[in-house]
Amino acid sequence: VTRRKPVPPRAALTLTPAAVQRIQSLVSQKPGTIGLKIGVKQRGCNGLSYTLDYVKERGKFDEVVEQDGVTVLMDKKAQLTLLGTEMDFKEDKLSSEFIFNNPNIIGVCGCGESFNVFTPEEKKKSGS
Amino acid sequence: QVNQKLLNPCSQCCRQRACILLTRQFSSEANSEVKIAADSVNITNRCVERLKKITADEKGLFLRISVEGGGCSGFQYKFELDKNMTEEDVVIEKDGVKIITDTDSVEFLKNSTVDFTEELIRSSFQVVNNPNAEQGCSCGASFSLKL
Repeated sequence: VTRRKPVPPRAALTLTPAAVQRIQSLVSQKPGTIGLKIGVKQRGCNGLSYTLDYVKERGKFDEVVEQDGVTVLMDKKAQLTLLGTEMDFKEDKLSSEFIFNNPNIIGVCGCGESFNVFTPEEKKKSGS
Repeated sequence: QVNQKLLNPCSQCCRQRACILLTRQFSSEANSEVKIAADSVNITNRCVERLKKITADEKGLFLRISVEGGGCSGFQYKFELDKNMTEEDVVIEKDGVKIITDTDSVEFLKNSTVDFTEELIRSSFQVVNNPNAEQGCSCGASFSLKL
């Protein structure tokens, strides 16, 4: 029997080079932290909004994403809504922010901070 | 007399009538109160520092704040960098940095504070503690008026 080729599991979250760079500089400024942790919170006019925190150690059910030397943890509650998201960092003179290109989203607030996702029942109905 | 820019977005707003009345009141008072209004907008030190950094590379730039219809709560703040000033503009100055707003918008900004907030997830200019705003969007970009 021939062995199946090992397929690397797809990362739950991908980081753009700009995001990697920003996280690197953030983490290096705070000694003792291993990375950043992404979560979601019930807030905002469209249901959910992202949170971002420094993290010192890995929680029991956190998903670990390692890419290009930086570590990002995903809170267990956030994993389902964040799956497949691309994390980007955009900076201009007026503002700088992390942007989440999330394929699960069905609606966002005007400012892009709060968003809405399909519930599993709705997903079944629409057949996707 | 009634400013079209501020009126148009109200056509979809549930408080249309109140908005129109308010705009009328504002536009008649605007000219006499411009100077007082300009003084009553506060700028935080963090905002001054950030603006100094931005204008260090390019002289003659200033921050323009305008209030427009839109956003999830009816009105929203808009921040941009500008070089041109018009006659309608109101200048708010602190420690050598300039923030410009127009005569219509300054009425909505009276006694509020312009801040540069820095968080892990984002850092941006924001209008905080606006006594004219009733409640806003979670991001602080949009607000509704106190009537």
